[in-house]
Order: sequence, then C-alpha cells, then structure tokens
Amino acid sequence: MTTMVRLSLRLGRWGIIGFSAIAFINTLLQGVAFYRIAGTTPAERAKFGQSMSVLAQQFSVIIPPPIRLDTVGGYVQWRAFGFFAILFAIWALVSATGAARGDEERGIVEVVLATGLSRARMIGARLIAFALGSVVAALAASTGLLISVATGGESFSTLVAVEAAVPLAALAICCYGLALLISQFTSARSAIAVAGVVLLDLFLLNSLSRTFEGVARWNWLSPFHYYELSRPLPPGGEFDLGATIILLVVGVAAGALAALALTFRDLGSPLVRLPASSHPASYDVDTVPVLRIPIVRDLYIDRISLVLWSVGMSVLGMVMVVLTKTIVEPLLAIPALKPYFDAFLHGAVYPSFLGFIWLSVAQLLMAGFAIAQVGRWAAEDTDGRLDLILSNPISRARVILERAVVLTIEALIIAGISGVAVGLESHYQGIDLDRPHLIAATLLLVPFTLVFAAVGALLAARAPRATVGILGTFTFASYLLTQLGPIFKLPAWTLNASAFKLYGQPLAEGVDQTGFVIMTGIILAGFAASVIAAQRRDVRA
Amino acid sequence: MAVAAIRTSKLSKDYGLGRGLFELDLEVAPQEVFGFLGPNGAGKSTTIRCLMGLIRPTAGSAQIFGLDCMHDSVAVKRKVGYVPGEMPQFGSLRGREVVAYLGGLRGGADPKVVRTLAERFNLDLSRRYREYSSGNKQKLGIVLAFMHRPQLLILDEPTIGLDPLNQQEFYDLLHEAGAGGATVFLSSHILSEVERTCDRVGIIRSGRLVRVAQLDELHRIRLHHVELEFAPESEVPEAAIRSAAGVEDVAVNDHVVTCVVKGTFEPLLKAIDGATVTNLMSHEPSLEEIFLTYYREGAPADQAIR
Repeated sequence: MTTMVRLSLRLGRWGIIGFSAIAFINTLLQGVAFYRIAGTTPAERAKFGQSMSVLAQQFSVIIPPPIRLDTVGGYVQWRAFGFFAILFAIWALVSATGAARGDEERGIVEVVLATGLSRARMIGARLIAFALGSVVAALAASTGLLISVATGGESFSTLVAVEAAVPLAALAICCYGLALLISQFTSARSAIAVAGVVLLDLFLLNSLSRTFEGVARWNWLSPFHYYELSRPLPPGGEFDLGATIILLVVGVAAGALAALALTFRDLGSPLVRLPASSHPASYDVDTVPVLRIPIVRDLYIDRISLVLWSVGMSVLGMVMVVLTKTIVEPLLAIPALKPYFDAFLHGAVYPSFLGFIWLSVAQLLMAGFAIAQVGRWAAEDTDGRLDLILSNPISRARVILERAVVLTIEALIIAGISGVAVGLESHYQGIDLDRPHLIAATLLLVPFTLVFAAVGALLAARAPRATVGILGTFTFASYLLTQLGPIFKLPAWTLNASAFKLYGQPLAEGVDQTGFVIMTGIILAGFAASVIAAQRRDVRA
Repeated sequence: MAVAAIRTSKLSKDYGLGRGLFELDLEVAPQEVFGFLGPNGAGKSTTIRCLMGLIRPTAGSAQIFGLDCMHDSVAVKRKVGYVPGEMPQFGSLRGREVVAYLGGLRGGADPKVVRTLAERFNLDLSRRYREYSSGNKQKLGIVLAFMHRPQLLILDEPTIGLDPLNQQEFYDLLHEAGAGGATVFLSSHILSEVERTCDRVGIIRSGRLVRVAQLDELHRIRLHHVELEFAPESEVPEAAIRSAAGVEDVAVNDHVVTCVVKGTFEPLLKAIDGATVTNLMSHEPSLEEIFLTYYREGAPADQAIR
C-alpha cells in the first residue's frame, strides 16, 4: 500500500505543486497588498475595514461575509481562504474523478489491481496521497501569510496560521471522498460533470443559506458550511475542531463507501448499469455531410461543448448584470470607497463596474476555453491522433491554421451569444450600456482568446506534454498582474505585459488601439512560429 | 525503369544511446509485398514514421514513388494507406464518424468500399470508439488504410489484437490488394506472418538492416522447438533422429524426445517413419531466438547465415 501511496503522489505531483504554488502566492500577495492599501494607523485601517466590509457584504453570495477586515488576518481570511474553498474543491473534484475513472480508462487501475492490491486498499492509498497533497498545499497558504506579515513588520501566530490550513485540507479531503463516491455511480465520461454538479449544488446550498432562511435549514448538508465555521485568522475568529472533524469523517466515510462500491462493480462500468438497447450492426460510413467539410467538421465535433460554453457564459453574464445593479447602488453612497474604485474603474460607474466584474470573469473563462482547446491539440499529438490525421494528404501548416480558424469561430460564437445575453439583461435592468462599446467589448474577447491560443499553439508545437501547465501558469500570472498591479502601483510596462491588460476597458472606454495591435501581433507571430516549429518537430516526440 | 515504390538512402534517426535507425538502404519495387521483420524496439516503427513524414531523419533520405517523404509529404500521402502501430483515442465519436472525419481529410471515403471492408471484418461502425475492443480498433485502422484503395500500404504490425479468423481475413485482403497492383510494406515481429504474406523480407535488428531475404531463404531460417512422445511399447529411433539433417539439440528422456528443427521437417519425419508417435508438439521460437541462432550481433550477414 505504501508503494501505491507513492505512485499516487507521483501521479498527482503536478497538482500538488501547482495548487501549493497558487495557495502560497495568493496569500503572500494578499497579505502584502493589505499593508499597501489599508494604511498604517489604526484609524486608517478601521476606516478601510469598515468600507471593505460594506463591499464584502455584496459578495456574500460567493464568499462568506468577513470579520475584522482592518487586520491582515481578517483580510487574508476573506480574500484568500474564502476563495480557496472553491479552488481546493475544484482540485479535489478533478483529482478524485481522475483517480476513480480517468485512470481506469487509461488502464492504470487494471495494472495496479493485477499486482494483487485490493480495490479497497487502492482507494485508500489514493485518498491518503491526496490528503497528504492537500495538507502540503494548505500549509503553503499559511506559509505565504506568515511571510507577508513579516514583510509588513508585524508578527503572526504560527499556530493560528496552521489552524487556518487544517479546515482547508479537511474540506479538500471531504470533497475528494464525495467525488470518489459519486464517480462509482456514473460512466467514466460523465464522472467529472456529475460530481461537479453535486459539489456545486452543495456550495450553492451553503452560499444561498446566507440569504434565504428556507435554505438555511439544510446547510448542515454542505461541507462548505463546516469549512466556514472555522475562521481562525482574524482577531475574535476561531478554529472549530468539531466542524473540521466532521469534514474528515465525511471524507473518509465517503472514501470507504467508494471502496465498497468499487469492489462490487466491474471496471469500466458504473455500479448500477442500465441494460444497453440492442441494435443491428451498421457497416455504413456516416452520411452527415458536415464531416467532410474543412472547419465545419471540427465545429460539428465540438458542438456540445460549444453549446455548454455559450449557455454557461450567457447565464453567468446575466447574473453579473443583476449583481452589478444590486452592488453598485449602495456602494455609491460610501465616499470612503472612492479611492478603492478609482484603482480599477474608469468612466461611467455602471458600465465600468459591469466591465470590471463581468468582463474580468469573461476574460478568465475565455482564457480557460483557450487552454482547454490547446490542451486538446497537445493531446492529439501525444496520443497519436495527429499521426492518423497527418497520414492523410494534409500539411502540418494546414492543421494549425484550421485549428486557429475553428477556435476563432468558436470564440466568436461564445462571446457573441454571451454579449447579446448581457446586452438584453442590462436593458431589462435599466443599465444604460453604450451599444458600440458592448459590441467592441464582446468582439475583443475573440483576439483576447486567440492570444492564449497562439501562445498555446506554439507551446503545443514545441513541448505538447508541458503545454497545459505552462499556459495555465502564464494565464494565472497574467491575471494576477492585472488584479494586483494597481494595488502595488507597478510600472505601466509591467502591466502591459499582461494579456488581460491589453484587453483594456472596452465597455467603458472603447477599444484600446495599442492593446489591440499588440494582441494582433502576438496572434500572428504565435501562429506563424507554431507553423514553423511544427514543421521541424517529430510528431509524438 | 519503374520508380521504386519505396527507396531509402542511408536513412538514419539517432535517438542517442545507440537507439534509433542507422543508415538504412532499402528499395521496394512497385506491386511488391515487402515484409519488414524485426523484434520489438528494432526500429521498424521509426522507419515507418520516417516514411510517413511524421519524424525527421537525422541523416539520409526516404522517397515514395520518387517523392521525398518530408518535403512532398502531402503528395506522398495521397498515394498511401497507413495503419499505425497503435491506434489513438477518438473518445465518444462513433466508428462511422471517425471514418467520415478522416475520409473527409482525403476528400471523401467511398461508402461502398467502407461497407465491404467493415462487413468483412464484422466491424459495427455505429458503436462509439471508446466502446471498441483493441481488436475492433485495429479493424477500424485497417478500414481507414484500405478505404481509398491506395497505391502503397504502409502497415505497422497490423494484425496485433486480431483474432485468428480476422487475421486470416486480413491476409486475404492483403493478397487481394497485392493482386490489384498495390505495393505493401508490412512490419511484423512474427516470422510466420511475413513468410505467409510477403514476396521479400527485410530483417532489422538494433536499428540496422541485417539482411534482405527472398522467401526461400526465410524457409531456410525457419526454426522450431519440437517435442515427440512415443508409445511406451515402441522403440525410440534416437540414432535416426540425431543423424537427421537440420535436427539439433536432441535430448531423450524415456519415451519423450525434444529437439530443434532448422528448415524443413522432412528429415525428421523420415527419421521417425515407422515409430508410433502418440504426441507431437512444435512451436515457433521468438524472433530474438532466431536472430541469436542465425544473425549474431556484429557478424556480417553473409557469414552469419548458414
């Protein structure tokens, strides 16, 4: 079993390294940012804390309301550890479904079980390995906090910092166990979607319970509720040992049930399998004409994910419009928040605020979409699909150019549909958006997406196995630069290195011509370089 | 003089540490069925991937019908059908969609040819690719390679995963393709498979071409481990077996005789004529064993072969 734990740690090492790095950098930067923006005197910090508390109340749908935002502990608990609940749950979801079903599809589970290890022990080893990884990542978050406090010339209890890490790791373990269990009842392909929907529901159950009393009766069902009971960082906060134990017990119990389910099911099948409908064998090639038309055939293959992305972005955009209306009205009445807004918002308040909260999210999602597509290109290379594609009379340059055109059309469809949804909802909410600016902001999401795709195409042509990791890091760093650059008052040239900055504030200010030209240059250079790199590279090397 | 279907000149792909392909000189004539025989890791797939323009040679060149495999790769692939050494993943696409998609890259697949091939191999194209067994994935690879009736078939261990019935169907298909004028380049690590299907064989080991042999030479290097069991009351013709041509390493244990037969079985069968044999087992040794017997590492091929 020790060997299996080691193997599991090895299989998940990039997740552990990546999430530890994100957790460490996030708490470090949030802590340092606090000392930059909160002032130095108790009076300044009290004023800052009061203002931020009003702002924070508006975001309580996503993150729990903070306490003592006039202290670095309170600020980091809110800005970093509140967000980590979502981040670590996503990590647990991806890891658990990958371990439960992804490795099964790849044949790893079969090989492991052939060594004589029992199914229960295998699941146990995966759970232990993830628990170790989540502890490391959570402690990295605490370390980032301690270092940031040291840079502010203050001191912070190490024990309290560790107390903040414990419930975070416990939440991750709980989500991991639940996702493992859910994966036993689904097909391999739908495991991540079903487990993701369940975890999202549990998250929303807890979030909405803060607003709706009817829902509050059921929040004991949500692991996120138990996580939020511990808030040890701010003065007056506490570490809830009982809630943390509940998270661990649920995680381990779910893992044990998953192990039990695995012992009763066939590998490759869910625990409960509906009988397949019989149909006569067919020997005919598909007659759908779109599969024979370049570009269109790839759009056809991507049609389901394209619909999901478009609908998801549109719904989120509409929610953001509603939130903008709700949030801005009370905030406009607080003069103390003016300096904070001035760092981010330019021009008319509503379009600026909508541009800030919606378009930042839209940019992140479009960057995520680009990474997902680039990840697929890289996978085509490593798993041999590109071999078969190139065994046809089609050049490597054409493969790359077709990918670029397909991605452009898909980005246009997603951005266009979500842009229309945001425009209609804004009109309904009475927010007066400048139509040309909205169209520009929507269309500008296309070159923005292509910037990441062009960088990704070059990476995929040079080092496909490392592409997603490097591109993900580039995106995260780029985003962080935009978010924290104004707070740290970084020089303009530094901010211009971020793709998010190149996008500008088109909803409030129109298209940033310089940013657009730079983005176009990156796109052309990136895809041209990837064509050259692909010609020189061995496929699957 | 007709242009060679395949011609390589000092073709090399050096992966370092002595791995790869080194100075391969090979010529395959049009309409020839050429076997490329070698154990695992010998360089068969590397050669094929160079021919398909998927990897760049570190030295030398490869041509197909006079076209350079790298520079004219698009024109080359119009003439080629290819079965890769390992079929990739196509996830939730159905078999018929994979055929239509990859056929589309060629400008369309002939539905009649696809149907005939799928029926021959009993491949249900309505099923999703991820539901296919490894044998069915291999069958799909064969359909994809043959569906446009290519002039040249480059097949990298195409029978892996196929059951004996489908293997036989594949051999028949290969024979028909050859009779129809196609050139075939078939890699394999199974001597009997190459012997059964090919006109000529290139034997590769550790990245170097050991020999290009005609079919009769292949018959000569055939090697079998044989176990004979005689009836308890009968006499074991030990002396006759030991003196039979091509019979070596004879060991007698009571009424059981084990030996190695090189080449034809005829001398052994003559030696046991008249004796009551209750059981006879023969199995083909691994290719590596044949190489150790006939092609010692470092020895010139002409000297090594007996």
